[in-house]
Amino acid sequence: MSKYFNILKFEYFHLVNAPYKIISILLFAFSIIYGCQIGYVLFKKHDNEIKSIKSKNSDFENKMLVQYDELEQGLIEKPRRDPTIPYWAIWNTPSYALKNPSAMIVFSTGQAEQYGYYKKVTNWSTIFDNDLAEEIANPERLALGTLDFGFVVLFLTPILLVILLFNVGGLEKDNGFDKLIYLNDISKKAWLATRFSYYFLIVFTLICFLLIPYAILSGALTNELTSFFRLLALIFLYVFLWTSVFYLINYLGKGSVDQAIKMISVWVVFSIIMPGLFHQIASIKFSTNYMVDYLDVARDQRYEIFDMSTDTLQKELLESFPMLKNSTYAQDTTIDKGIVNRSISGLVNVLNKKAAVKIEEESELKNDYVRSTLILNPVMYFQNKINEISRTDYYAYRRYRENIQNTIDKKIEFILRDTWNREEVDKERYIGYLQEFKN
Amino acid sequence: MIVIILNEWKILVRNRSIVYVSLIFILSIISLAWMSNVQSENQSKAQAAAEKHIRSQWDNLEPMNPHRAAHYGVYVFKPISILNSLDDGVSSITGNVLKLEGHVQNEIVHSEASQSITISKFGKLKPSIILQYVVPLFLIFLSFGSITNDKETGRMKLIALQGVSPEKLVLSKSISIWLYGLMLIMFSVLLQSLLGSLALDAGLRLGLTFISYGLYYLIVVFLSTFISVNFRNNTSAISLLLATWIVWTIFLPKIWGNTVEKVHPLPSRQNFIAQMKEDRSKGIDGHNPRDERRSKLEKEYLVKYKVDSLSQLPINFDGIVMQADEEYGNQVWDKHFGNNYLIYQKQKKLYQLSGLLNPFSSLQNLSMGFCGSDMIHHLDFLKKAENYRRYLIKTLNDKHAHGGSRTGEWRWTVDNTFFRSVKTFDYQTMLIKNHIGNYLFDILALIAWAIFAGSLMRYKIKRDILL
Repeated sequence: MSKYFNILKFEYFHLVNAPYKIISILLFAFSIIYGCQIGYVLFKKHDNEIKSIKSKNSDFENKMLVQYDELEQGLIEKPRRDPTIPYWAIWNTPSYALKNPSAMIVFSTGQAEQYGYYKKVTNWSTIFDNDLAEEIANPERLALGTLDFGFVVLFLTPILLVILLFNVGGLEKDNGFDKLIYLNDISKKAWLATRFSYYFLIVFTLICFLLIPYAILSGALTNELTSFFRLLALIFLYVFLWTSVFYLINYLGKGSVDQAIKMISVWVVFSIIMPGLFHQIASIKFSTNYMVDYLDVARDQRYEIFDMSTDTLQKELLESFPMLKNSTYAQDTTIDKGIVNRSISGLVNVLNKKAAVKIEEESELKNDYVRSTLILNPVMYFQNKINEISRTDYYAYRRYRENIQNTIDKKIEFILRDTWNREEVDKERYIGYLQEFKN
Repeated sequence: MIVIILNEWKILVRNRSIVYVSLIFILSIISLAWMSNVQSENQSKAQAAAEKHIRSQWDNLEPMNPHRAAHYGVYVFKPISILNSLDDGVSSITGNVLKLEGHVQNEIVHSEASQSITISKFGKLKPSIILQYVVPLFLIFLSFGSITNDKETGRMKLIALQGVSPEKLVLSKSISIWLYGLMLIMFSVLLQSLLGSLALDAGLRLGLTFISYGLYYLIVVFLSTFISVNFRNNTSAISLLLATWIVWTIFLPKIWGNTVEKVHPLPSRQNFIAQMKEDRSKGIDGHNPRDERRSKLEKEYLVKYKVDSLSQLPINFDGIVMQADEEYGNQVWDKHFGNNYLIYQKQKKLYQLSGLLNPFSSLQNLSMGFCGSDMIHHLDFLKKAENYRRYLIKTLNDKHAHGGSRTGEWRWTVDNTFFRSVKTFDYQTMLIKNHIGNYLFDILALIAWAIFAGSLMRYKIKRDILL
């Protein structure tokens, strides 16, 4: 046992006497702090933006409530967009679909910058609207990517390991006394493995140590404990895998320079070449989607609906929304153009949903393909796993889109139900709407 | 010197590993150029099909009121950049679809990056990735290996004894390695011109791309050789070289990019929209007859046509209101989108400054810029699309006002002969010769670095270490 302890002790001396290794560790620590800070700033930005939206909504709600009071007391006349009509009352019910950031976003901004995280939802909304575009950002900066914690762990950790490990066992080969070491009571495997373990522990401990303050600050340690531990487990596995690959290189290597070149080449292959290659192949197999199906609905098919006669529209509405058959208006034999016109968004929404399903299916095919390549593209496997944990992956945003769609559906359901039942909206009913669409 | 360079090339060619690696590079560049070309063609076809589909819908519109057609709008699709198959820059990050319609300047949406899980962090494997990341790394190894090998075997001393100056020898070695790098770029550029357009602008862009990469490789080779020569310890030399490569290509671009955004922050979307809405509401609301500005405009037209009421006007006043509202809106868009574009420009300039510390940033900027896939080209597309929107909406509003209908006749329609007469949006990539000023700083930064690296090679070689 003392044999291994001695190896570790001498490894410590080796490390403290290699200033470039110490500088690399310090730079790496700085990168982790910088990366976490970037994530934390993004977390706070999302959080504050959402709070600001909620506050504006609250102001608007109060104004509407005052308007109802004034209308009920006869102090004002009904405006053009009469809030006693369900359509306009629901139109004036602030309903934002918000994607509250997970505290884990601090550790991976993932795809968060590709998507919007708040959207004002109306009965005319769709899940591919313009206002759901990502935050305004410099495209060149987006293309460069962010130096977030995820990037540091996935791309810079292997580089730190290269710097720390390339001459472990290599220096002895360079100076030609490696064989002397094996004459002692230790195998080459055990000697190298012990030395590698030392650096593995340093790197992993350093990462954990620097993560904890940000986990406390963001609330991840209290609110997302399982996710946090999943992240740690993933990092452990990832660092272990790279350490193992480098161990093999050093075990079979011919010297420090040879090992350094091989290590950095493996890093280039797995971090740049393989992901880039699969990205290129995926782009060939699945050309950029110009969303023509959605555009057709958003424009052509929508206008076709607008051009339908009132009785055709009414029939279509009754077919698409069977619940309307029992409504007050459906029992009536007269045609009310106002009621039908206020229900048109329901028909457009049906078309939008069909187009959305097709688009999501196409994206899913691409995702299936990408997933099938992850065995050869392990760095991206870990990237997507970390994104998943921080809820900044494609699927987190797909769930968000589903949430938006549910809100649209609910708005339409309320409009149809209350319009077709000829309900008049008073303050009490409006408060009901507010509660239904509360975030 | 030429003899030494030729001799170095002979040594390079005799080294089997280098021959194999070169073959791998050449094959990679050929296959990547081919793949990139296929991808570009597929995307172009998809874009052309989408455009044709959308235009045919416009051409076959049912008789419709021009204002309704303005709401119906048109879609334009961002074309792939001129040398997309060499470097696709920001293309997969930016949106591809832009709706042009009345009353509003929309933003481009539906980026490729938003349509799948994460596939890569450094972009698609285009020849630019090989030329920016992999070839320089190989040149570093080659320069390092070439010098250390001669130092270790004593060949350097032997040649010096024959009367060749060690500085000259080192310089010749560097140039031979640089020429090897140039050969790879030349190969990529030639391949690109064979596969792609041979137009003058494309040729100029390829030429500039070649020069940019050439300068960068010169810097990399000179610095690598210099460090390899001047360090007694090979391990320290290779460590410093790798550290420099990592800092330049991975570390600094991201850190500087994030800093630039902090120094010149962009507004949040929510504030951006709210501010535009506020400014817009001060203008004429085309749908609101009680608006003060409308009254003023109404009076102007009544005086102009010497009539007492709108119904007596020989034109449709609604179209006039719509166009006036549109023009007011344009001022609002110009103010707010213009402000964002100004911030983008400031960010770009600040980012370009990093070229003084990091020639890789300058190379990336130039590569994207000359391949037509950087932010400047993206903004050019957006500006031209917006100009087209203004033309489209003005054409529709003019028809509404002067096409023969009277004020209030919202059911008045025009047939598709009119809609077909509206020009299609035909985006032409800006000519690089007219915009070279945008890239001047990057070019100068690379030249400055090349001079600096050259000076190190000329004056700072430590003869005692070398021999």
